[in-house]
Amino acid sequence: MFEIEVNGRIIDASPGETILSALKRAGIRVPTLCHMNDLMPSGACRICVVEVEGMRGLIPSCSYPVQEGMKIKTNSAKAIQARKTIIELLLANHPDDCLYCVRNGNCKLQGLAEEYGIRERHFTGKKSRGNIDITSPSIVRDQSKCILCGKCVRICEEVQRVSAIDFVGRGSKTVIAPAFNNNLNVSSCINCGQCVLACPTGALREKSYLREVSEALADPEKIVVVQHAPAVSVSIAEEFGIKPGTDIAGMMVAAFKRLGFKKVFDTSYTADLTIMEEASELVHRVKTGGVLPMMTSCSPGWIKYVEQFYPEFIDNLSTCKSPQQMMGALIKSYFAEKEGIDPAKIFSVSVMPCTAKKFEAGRPEMGRNNIFDIDAVLTTREMARMIKMHGIDFNSVVPEEADLPFGTRSTAGKLFGGTGGVMEAALRTAHFLITGKEMKSLKVEQVRGLDGVKEAKIKVGDLQVGVAVISGVGNASKILEQLKEGRKDLHFIEVMTCPGGCVAGGGQPIETDKEKIKTRLQALYTIDQTETLRTSHANKAVQELYKEYLKEPLGEKSHELLHTHYTKRDVLV
Amino acid sequence: MSEKKKNICKGKTVLLVDDNIDLLTQIKNYLETLGMKVTTAESQADAEKLIAENDFNLAIFDLVLEHYDSGFILGYWAKKKNPAIPVIMITSVTSKTGIQFDAASEDARSWAKADVILDKDIRFEQLEREIRHLLK
Repeated sequence: MFEIEVNGRIIDASPGETILSALKRAGIRVPTLCHMNDLMPSGACRICVVEVEGMRGLIPSCSYPVQEGMKIKTNSAKAIQARKTIIELLLANHPDDCLYCVRNGNCKLQGLAEEYGIRERHFTGKKSRGNIDITSPSIVRDQSKCILCGKCVRICEEVQRVSAIDFVGRGSKTVIAPAFNNNLNVSSCINCGQCVLACPTGALREKSYLREVSEALADPEKIVVVQHAPAVSVSIAEEFGIKPGTDIAGMMVAAFKRLGFKKVFDTSYTADLTIMEEASELVHRVKTGGVLPMMTSCSPGWIKYVEQFYPEFIDNLSTCKSPQQMMGALIKSYFAEKEGIDPAKIFSVSVMPCTAKKFEAGRPEMGRNNIFDIDAVLTTREMARMIKMHGIDFNSVVPEEADLPFGTRSTAGKLFGGTGGVMEAALRTAHFLITGKEMKSLKVEQVRGLDGVKEAKIKVGDLQVGVAVISGVGNASKILEQLKEGRKDLHFIEVMTCPGGCVAGGGQPIETDKEKIKTRLQALYTIDQTETLRTSHANKAVQELYKEYLKEPLGEKSHELLHTHYTKRDVLV
Repeated sequence: MSEKKKNICKGKTVLLVDDNIDLLTQIKNYLETLGMKVTTAESQADAEKLIAENDFNLAIFDLVLEHYDSGFILGYWAKKKNPAIPVIMITSVTSKTGIQFDAASEDARSWAKADVILDKDIRFEQLEREIRHLLK
């Protein structure tokens, strides 16, 4: 530790850290655009420049190592003028269509322009236009709004290790695009949407299906039902200014009802069902010498990742559909039959923390008799927009329960919303299926938390079960490569595509940072800690479904409705 | 289920129009693997003749051919002759111009004379899914 002087104040700094990191710790804010926590600085945008006594020119604080005795001015006239110029230059060719932009109100560029009082156009460049890539079912790419900060490229390459997009072209013709400036739909993009969360502007956004949903709600012929994923109720509150980490499941259900949805189902119910099928599948594989380790299949980004980068592990993937798709299939079969409704009249919506779920719903195998299991997928953000548009005031809604028959869930199903949750839920049920007894402690601490790779050995009866939990698909290759080299001690691997799991999904509120992810995860843990129904196999509503309709896990009906298959995928890489 | 899936496309006639011969051939080949009988045209003029002289179960049109709105016009003629015919529009107009079309609402569908609009480049599985859904 040593001391530096900042704006006349003495603060502590450590050798090796950047100026920005020392400033942040001391609570001195410097604006950033291209900076990303936990990654090497790129120093691309220069918005974070500060004046350092004795040094020529301005210094980018995000990438310059702090030195003992430095005298720094973060807000000198020179630094502020430079930042203003940078913002003005970024705005020079920007389309300036803020009023029509999905990021109006939470755009970083707009925020800076406001903060720095940009009121005049000193540079009038030719406005960027065109080149909107709407081909992907999940993500829209609008190059005209791109400021080339490179954050999407870095998250895709350095965090997710997919590298679907990169800088293409040179100089003023540079754009960010998939290989050969092709479009996302045929690229190796896994639709995770982490780039959308990283993007400071509206250049990357989810493909919205709000119009389709509104249209269906207005159609008297259609019976519109909605399901909501476990991670939505603990994050959507942030969109309404409620404290992060608040679970507003009841209010959200009530809001959905007011929007006109006939039934509101809880995807956590089919998470419980997934566990019944998946734990049974695991037990079956262990007993019959099936392909091990088995890998989870709930996260559609991960599925596409395996199909295109590691097809040799396709047989390791659980054949279980994701909870979203299981719910979709049940709504148009069991529910439709029970209620005497023609499944073709049902319009099935799901609210997901995820952009890849949009792609998943569009997979051709996800349906029966050429009727789609799911008709439209909305992200948490889109649903928040819809609720706001309909003028629903959360202060005035009375919390409601989700509808039967798919409204009751265990806390195990709810844990699906965060990294390690599927594993924890599956272990609870697998233990019961194998030994006939509950685990001594239902909480499996080793699989909780935000580490990229978590491993544990769990005793289930006489069996020592080796498990690994991967948070963020970029960490998957570590384990997959070990498996290729012959590692044999693992039985079950959970992979969630987004770092932190669905609570950090690409469809979550734009301001998703590590602290928020932690509080959302904690909200799930609190639910698990405070409620009594904590295992999927104890969910009476799931037992009822088996008794009445499915008969048994992995049975014929289950195979028809709840299981799927995967195929090697050729993509442009 | 795969048996059931096969039947719906098998033997169905489709008019496929695109002035990009590579794409035309690729889609044609793909549709033929599904058992469909494919008639192709590379221009609006040729396609109009085919619509007048034949009956098809499905039509797939590129939007921009010899005119900017060729696909819409073909959709108009196809639906005028047979209002029940499903029409799929495949276009790259948005990526080239920024102008967006969709078939999200009844209004939009009746205006565009198309039931589904897909943006190039498409994945064949995506096209197949829409075809099966429309033919059901």
